[in-house]
Amino acid sequence: MIDSINRLRFIAGNTFLEAVRQKFFNSLLLISIALLASSTFFQQFDFGTNELKFITDFGFGALFFFGSILSVTATTQLFFNEIENRTALTMLAKPIHKLEFLAGKFFGAHMLMLCFTAVITLVLAGMLYWRETELMARLGDAFIDGRLVNYSDIFVFGLLQWMKFGVLTAITLFIASFSNTNLYTIVVSFFVLIICQLQYIARDAYSTMEAGIGRWLVQFLGLIFPNFQLFNIGDQLVFNVKAPIPAVTILQIVGYGLIYTVVFVLLAHVNFRRREI
Amino acid sequence: MTTPAIRIQGLTKDFSVGMRGLKLRAVDGLNLEVGDNEILGLLGPNGSGKSTTIKIILGLLQASVGECQIYGKPSHTVDARRSVGFLPEAPYFYRYLSGRELIRFYARVCGVPRSQIKEQVDSVIELVGMTEATHRRVGTYSKGMLQRIGLAQALVHDPQLVILDEPTAGVDPLGSAAIAEIIRELKRRGKTILLSSHLLAQIEGLCDRVAILHRGKLVREGRVDDLVQDQHTESLVVEGLSPAGRAAVEQAITAEGGRLCRVEKPRLSLDALFLKEVQQQEAVRSDSTDTVEQGGKHD
Repeated sequence: MIDSINRLRFIAGNTFLEAVRQKFFNSLLLISIALLASSTFFQQFDFGTNELKFITDFGFGALFFFGSILSVTATTQLFFNEIENRTALTMLAKPIHKLEFLAGKFFGAHMLMLCFTAVITLVLAGMLYWRETELMARLGDAFIDGRLVNYSDIFVFGLLQWMKFGVLTAITLFIASFSNTNLYTIVVSFFVLIICQLQYIARDAYSTMEAGIGRWLVQFLGLIFPNFQLFNIGDQLVFNVKAPIPAVTILQIVGYGLIYTVVFVLLAHVNFRRREI
Repeated sequence: MTTPAIRIQGLTKDFSVGMRGLKLRAVDGLNLEVGDNEILGLLGPNGSGKSTTIKIILGLLQASVGECQIYGKPSHTVDARRSVGFLPEAPYFYRYLSGRELIRFYARVCGVPRSQIKEQVDSVIELVGMTEATHRRVGTYSKGMLQRIGLAQALVHDPQLVILDEPTAGVDPLGSAAIAEIIRELKRRGKTILLSSHLLAQIEGLCDRVAILHRGKLVREGRVDDLVQDQHTESLVVEGLSPAGRAAVEQAITAEGGRLCRVEKPRLSLDALFLKEVQQQEAVRSDSTDTVEQGGKHD
């Protein structure tokens, strides 16, 4: 067991190293930070305290948009690099299980997303703090009860987004496990991402449907695709200082993400086990 | 009786081709054994099933029928692969790592104890003659260097069985001779080697036994000497024989009921000639460099 964890750790570490040395990651990270920094131009419109909400939404949007792109493309590239360069052949001829190899790839990509999420949330928290301090000096009355932004919860939101990227990474790995090309994997993964984002519409639909095959089918599809809206509780977390979301709810969402992640990695393994390298 | 390094029994591998699932038979009822501390050459034209057989031995492919064991363990198990080192054909490695980082990484993946990693890594790097280039990134390596570092990664966990798929493909004769010497050294260290190659001259000089595959079937197998020797003729290699002496030998052969089939000058292979010439040039160059250095010191 310890040997297995060690092998997984080495493969994940190597995958992470490969990922961070790619120009794509660095470029995307710089673009995201630049975009986030540009949100300070909102101060020219003089929104008052609403400016903080704009900056937060802008930051969360950048995190989701660029994070999703990075999660799908980096996972696809890291997987297909191994297949196309035939490094997987050398690796799988070693005394390692295919699941260890696949899980190592997953954790490597997931560590990359942790770096990305941590940097973006740190920059966002820093910018919000700076703007809020300035606004407090200018509009003192609006801050009688103290700061409006719950800073620790920005990082809780970051954690939830990281969990969501974990599910997306696992889904991408699952699609890559039976796909033959990079392009197919990327396109299908983005389609699945859109379905997961809009999945709540199906949930709303079946709640008003009459019992029967149609409802059962929609309900089943709702189970297959994870509901990504569950992770989007940034507003409730960051600006709801008086009635914070209970820790149990956060843990439940984390658990929900973990279950889908494990299931998709295992499904990827089922495909990959039969794949001829 | 010792357990063979590899035992293949009734091995058949079919691939499904196209939407209709037509079967393409890559390996057909193969039976083969490789004894411990033996070098076996796996020969065959392209598409004869050599690589498929190797992949099945390594557990990368599942056999359709039959079984394959490595030192008595089913070859598809992780446990069986602990005693196997593999160098794939035209190997690619993680280009962003240096040679030493790469070997270290594979040593760790193979479970080499932390206390032995440095020693093992240094030892295999020295064995393959890559000490000078280990700090360089793998992406900058030449074809020959890639093969050597590939050999190092195959040997870093000290496996008993080493499988080499076209280890000298694309390598110049000097590099090829160096790799052949490493293979001989491995044999001296008690390792078993399964070697797949198109370079028949090299196989002939290296292997104890060969197995020839054609269209997935084993068509010939045995000791190299037994297979290539003409059992009905003998050759005498003589030096300084006068025309009268030669006539006497011919007469004696006829008198004893033999027949002189041909008289020819022994030939050196082009490989051997090339190596001899290059090594001589290298020796002269090295001598002259030593002389210049010594002269410089005297000055």
